[in-house]
Amino acid sequence: MSSKINGHVSPQPCPHLLVFRSRNGPKPFRALQDCIRVKPPGGRAAIRREPTEVPRCGTCEESSRSRLYACVACAAVFCHAPLLHSHASDHSLSIPGHEIAVDVDRAELFCCACGDQVYDRDFDAAVVLAQTVNATATTSTSGSTAMQCSVAGSQPENLRKRRRVDYRPWEPDSGEHISRGNQSIPLLDATNASLVSSTQQPWGFRGLNNLGNTCFMNSILQALLHTPPLRNYFLGDRHNRYYCQQKNGAINGTKNSRLCLACDMDALFSAVFSGDRTPYSPAKFLYSWWQHAANLASYEQQDAHEFFISMLEGIHEKVEKDKRKSQSPGSGDCCIAHRVFSGILRSDVMCMVCGFTSTTYDPCVDISLDLEPNQGGSGKSSSAKSLNSFNFEADCMRPNQNCGISTLKGCLERFTRAEKLGSDQKLFCQKCQVRQESLKQMSIRKLPLVSCFHVKRFEHSSIRKMSRKVDRYLQFPFSLDMAPYLSSSILRSRFGNRIFPFDGDEQDASNDLSTEFELFAVVTHSGRLDAGHYVTYLRLSNQWYKCDDAWITQVNESIVRAAQGYMMFYVQKVLYYKESENQGTS
Amino acid sequence: MSHSHKLVIKSSMSRPPPPPPTTNKDQQHQNPSLQEINIKLIQSGEKERLKELLRERLLECGWIDEMKALCRAFTRKKGRNNVTVDDLVHVISPKGRASVPNSMKAELLQRIRAFLASTAD
Repeated sequence: MSSKINGHVSPQPCPHLLVFRSRNGPKPFRALQDCIRVKPPGGRAAIRREPTEVPRCGTCEESSRSRLYACVACAAVFCHAPLLHSHASDHSLSIPGHEIAVDVDRAELFCCACGDQVYDRDFDAAVVLAQTVNATATTSTSGSTAMQCSVAGSQPENLRKRRRVDYRPWEPDSGEHISRGNQSIPLLDATNASLVSSTQQPWGFRGLNNLGNTCFMNSILQALLHTPPLRNYFLGDRHNRYYCQQKNGAINGTKNSRLCLACDMDALFSAVFSGDRTPYSPAKFLYSWWQHAANLASYEQQDAHEFFISMLEGIHEKVEKDKRKSQSPGSGDCCIAHRVFSGILRSDVMCMVCGFTSTTYDPCVDISLDLEPNQGGSGKSSSAKSLNSFNFEADCMRPNQNCGISTLKGCLERFTRAEKLGSDQKLFCQKCQVRQESLKQMSIRKLPLVSCFHVKRFEHSSIRKMSRKVDRYLQFPFSLDMAPYLSSSILRSRFGNRIFPFDGDEQDASNDLSTEFELFAVVTHSGRLDAGHYVTYLRLSNQWYKCDDAWITQVNESIVRAAQGYMMFYVQKVLYYKESENQGTS
Repeated sequence: MSHSHKLVIKSSMSRPPPPPPTTNKDQQHQNPSLQEINIKLIQSGEKERLKELLRERLLECGWIDEMKALCRAFTRKKGRNNVTVDDLVHVISPKGRASVPNSMKAELLQRIRAFLASTAD
């Protein structure tokens, strides 16, 4: 009899609740709903008749008990402290039909006979409505990328039905025949012993030569070369560099039409997956990227994250202007970069004076996380301890212990925590029509195929007017469940134990995909802010490999766990193959 | 009982506190009873503010997460359908009370004292 809403099972009513409902008409809690008070605006819901009344137990006159229940049948209030005594239970036993009560401080229904919470859809709907002063959301005033959201809810673009196509076995067309003949090279196999290295590495591993402080580029490229959906896209010939060039030439009519970064990626994939194990020099790629990001074109050291972002932008810019495709990054239909990396973040800003909440949606290709603020010097010693034993999670459960170990999950929890913006950061409230102090909360509306987490390891001190690198160790899991950071989970925790009547429009767009992710690449940085070295660790069929410019070696997973993560790449579990079939290892 | 009218909360909810036991001026400045303090806190809205502060502190130090973990572990052991709210309260209350940091207790106590001092007659 329980039904599924948004993947969650709604609780079955107890027999006493069923009897109560049958005896008291279609809306048995209608009268109770008028007594819902929300204080402060947007805060917790309570049951009160008068704003300043002090609830007391009818039997013992106590008002300081932690749980006071009002009987829904006769409105009498009783205390409930099962360890000592329960006048609420006494009451329910003395009069049949008076088992259902409501917690006066939490506005939650309770069955005194069963000793357990019960749920009613209409009542919960009324509570949630009372808590959200204004249920409709608005668009943000800044930026054209925000999406509109309303309670009525219109179906997002990417949920509309796609027309199915009949299966046809593939045959190369005339163009493909030509490019196959002219431009392709045979994949090297085990018989070509001279070019195959003896270290039995999986297919697609090839060192990248450092062209002069280009480890920032090499590290990101190695991660992208093994990003499953990206790899599949390019190896599946979804962007053919010969076609693309020809098209560009035909349209522009110029001989040196600017190459597109996607074409360069295609060339890179071809080179790296060719079977040739000698280190490759991505000079052409570097040159193309310089043309795109002119301000970063130099032989100085660059930031890998900056490179990552500019690369994705570059691929997006050069995407062929296909009129059929939407250009908005949020849907992921614009280009392969956004299809793989773009998710949607939801931001709720609540005015602390009137409770009006404004919700905005923005696409994002990664999430930048702050390390927690300094914990008074305990960081260094305990991080040394943590590197030796990996059972510290048990120790961290104690609330008092300042274990000083930062975790990726901790960062995500902080990222999605409701944050009071200071009085110097007042935001404009549309209802009050003035700037007010606000409460802001982030959550994830739509998960991307690949989640990239960027750890902000630089600290800028405005006092000293300098930046420094934060070397603090960050623990990251190999498997990550993103469910607690989704908008649906965050909303659920904001409103408490409620059945959501309007789950329909709050459905996360990735409802049909799972929330479980697997780590496949870690970009690490060692050294100082202005002079350091990037190294990427890749995970293939549960083996870890270290990619240090031209050298790729197999390493133990403990090395990876202990590494200083700067960027972590997680792919949806369904797209990650733990047990690989024949990888073509030589 | 008819349910077409508004829920009537009986007088037990809004009955005023009993008057102080003596009219002697000196004795009125004696330590107020727990009941009186509680009522003062509720009526002024200070109790709600203190509760919010406490929630924030408990969240920050991981106490709430630890309680959640204890509840989950207990529920897993007993089986999801064999656990009631009362069971959970019974199980985690002693551990919960014991693990509230002393600094937090001190802070709240200080705030309550300050509040009472500021509203003293």
